[in-house]
Amino acid sequence: MALRVGVHPVLRHLLGAAVAAACVVSAAGNAVAAEVTNAPPLQPIRDPHYGDTLFHFYQDHYFTSITTLMTSQHFNRVSQHADEAELLRGGMLLSYGQHKEAGEIFTALLDKGAAPSVRDRAWFYLAKIRYQRGFMTEAEDAIGRVKDQLPPELEEERGLLHANLLMARSDFAGASGILKAMTAGRKDANPASPYVRFNLGVALIRAGDIEGGSALLDELGRAPAPDEELRSLRDKANVALGYAALQDDKPETARSFLERVRLTSLHANKALLGFGWAALAMKQPRLALVPWGELWQRDISDAAVLEARIAVPFAYAEVGAFGQSLTQYNEALAVFERETTKLDQSIAAIRSGKLVDGLMQRNPGDQMGWFWSIKELPEMPHGSHLSQVLAQHDFQEAFKNLRDLRFLQNNLAEWQDKLGVFDDMLANRRKAYAERLPQIRARAGETGLDAQQKRRDGLADELARAEAAADGEAFADVRERDLQQRLARVQAILQSTAASSEPDIVSARERAARVAGALTWQLAQAQAARVWQAKKGLREVDEQLAQARARDAALAQAQTDEPARFDAFGQRIAALDPTLKALLPRVVALGAEQQQAVQDIAVAELTRQKERLASYTLQARFAVAQLYDRANRPLRLNLPNAGAEPTPTPDEASRAIKQ
Amino acid sequence: MLKSLHPFIAVALAIGVVTGAHAQAAVQALPAAAAATAPAAAASAPAAAASASLDTRIQDAKSDVIKLNRDLLVLEEELLFPANTQVALFVSMDVGKLFELDSVQIKLDDKLVANYLYTPAEVKALHRGGVQRVYIGNLRAGEHELVATFTGGGPHFRDYKRGATVKFDKGTDAKYIELRIKDSAAKLQPEFDVRVWQ
Repeated sequence: MALRVGVHPVLRHLLGAAVAAACVVSAAGNAVAAEVTNAPPLQPIRDPHYGDTLFHFYQDHYFTSITTLMTSQHFNRVSQHADEAELLRGGMLLSYGQHKEAGEIFTALLDKGAAPSVRDRAWFYLAKIRYQRGFMTEAEDAIGRVKDQLPPELEEERGLLHANLLMARSDFAGASGILKAMTAGRKDANPASPYVRFNLGVALIRAGDIEGGSALLDELGRAPAPDEELRSLRDKANVALGYAALQDDKPETARSFLERVRLTSLHANKALLGFGWAALAMKQPRLALVPWGELWQRDISDAAVLEARIAVPFAYAEVGAFGQSLTQYNEALAVFERETTKLDQSIAAIRSGKLVDGLMQRNPGDQMGWFWSIKELPEMPHGSHLSQVLAQHDFQEAFKNLRDLRFLQNNLAEWQDKLGVFDDMLANRRKAYAERLPQIRARAGETGLDAQQKRRDGLADELARAEAAADGEAFADVRERDLQQRLARVQAILQSTAASSEPDIVSARERAARVAGALTWQLAQAQAARVWQAKKGLREVDEQLAQARARDAALAQAQTDEPARFDAFGQRIAALDPTLKALLPRVVALGAEQQQAVQDIAVAELTRQKERLASYTLQARFAVAQLYDRANRPLRLNLPNAGAEPTPTPDEASRAIKQ
Repeated sequence: MLKSLHPFIAVALAIGVVTGAHAQAAVQALPAAAAATAPAAAASAPAAAASASLDTRIQDAKSDVIKLNRDLLVLEEELLFPANTQVALFVSMDVGKLFELDSVQIKLDDKLVANYLYTPAEVKALHRGGVQRVYIGNLRAGEHELVATFTGGGPHFRDYKRGATVKFDKGTDAKYIELRIKDSAAKLQPEFDVRVWQ
């Protein structure tokens, strides 16, 4: 019976472990990120830059998405989606754990009277933030303000959150009412989410409807589950029900729940252990050895497996196989000792930074983000310890923060390089403007814009005169001018023979007169078109002259403005540089601090494992001592004058046990 | 039954529950053994206070870095792509079921300015309504010609290559041009067109 005393604390611990494992983790920050990600494009894109934000957002590049959005907001390029953009920014900041800033954004949206759909989502996210920060009353107030404009995919989350808030203030009837409403009207083909049913089961039991709640959980524990996520939830429900039945002294019922748990499940170890304890409670220790034998072979870093190491010898003792029991206890003690040494080595490796450095090296990423998860484990002296550490929510969150800080450190370092380049670029431009612009302007001066203008004005006057005088000859082209000259020469020759009355001369004179008349006629005929053409040409000259003057003015303006602009850029760079320089070491220091915090979390977990080992070691030693004690008693009974005889040696005791 | 289930339920409620939407994360985050889960208000008070303080400082630092990034991006854009010469080219997809985008090649005034090969994640983001800024550069005022060539898989798993051309005037404001991939229900063919925003 003495051994039984040792069993109960173990069972109690197991119950605690199983209960903790049976609980579904809470809606932490990642939940909000998931919702934000699920948000569909609500309307056609009316600003391409908002679409660009979504493009990064849909690839989970939140950092790029936030910063490009903020840049576009600065340039007022997303005005058509102003509220949606703010809501998105708030959601993304929330996904980075920026609760304060996200809260301010949502509050500002509400204060400015955003559209109902935006308001509903803002209130919903505010409720989430407040819930996560532990402000339950305020969270309940916010969730109560969500009306009927929430996207359907957020409705379930809204109901679950509301029920959680009610349960937090012990209003289980209210919570079960909300959850029941979520399941009501759902047909078998389209039942409510298992999470809703799980929570409803919990709420019903807490509200006093034990039978209804248990039945719901039982139903969940038997329901087919199409994917690993739901299979895990089903296992969780069965483990919880099994341990609850064990605690209620219903081992047969407990076994019926626990045997539903898959052997490959995350919860299989606890189920196997409970399955064994249930057999023991049914006074069938041999039956208990079956699941515990399976557990015995599993990874020692799991708490349930550790328990099995002392549960198996206990069962052997129960069936009267004291020799095997002692051997197994001794083996367990040796294993515990080895494991303690390994844990010490793991702790030393963690403290030296190997864990964090290894995780960083093997899990590179180009973005910081909530969705990031550890994909590859680092090499450590005893890798199996890592699974316990890395599975911890606290560790994951702390490591994500550390990884974010490293990302930001790289980001700032890149900007520092870029700022240097900007400075050089400005210096080059300044130099180019100082050296090249005066030369260009000088060349422009050489071509003489004013002289060109005078020339143009002279031509315009000439055109006006010719047009007014209807002087067709002024518009003669090269061929016509040539003809005019030839005609003039002919007429001059004819003039010199004016006295002649020879027929050839007379004929030539007449021909010359006809040609002159024809030429004058042609010029007069073409004059209107040529005036129009000339005016068009003059307009083109005006345009070119205007462009040349504009260019010259722009250059003159640039000569005065650009240095000022460069100075303004220089001042901005100079103003940003110290901010950058101050932020970089701050982020580096925070990174070091966070690395320490991450390592502390990991070490604390391994220390807990060591403490657990110490506790089991103590129990095993106690059990061994009791086995020796038990072995001693029959020996004494067989001896005459037993009270006067010395205590048998351990070898004698051992032999007695083996007999 | 009430008494027996009570401890389990109490812990379950203290820890809270999740929805199906985040259940994968929940499963991943599930500790294999006795687990500390969020919101872990039950953590030891001094440790919580210290980590809260560090958490707050990290939040502040992240916020400052994000704001600084905004300022630096604004500076970079104003310095490298001033509004009076800026031209930005975007790619979007409306439905896009008839076309599996592989790459896009863009020429501005016969000069190759972008040759982009898409990842599945990027194509998915375009399908969901994202708009990719595929190029940003500078152009002088005046008339310009843009030729975009899309390659990918068309209907019936055939390789598909189509172009879209547009002539546009660049004024003194920034110019945004969107290259759109659309489905033509009537022709059962993808269509490519160009939208000049401003």
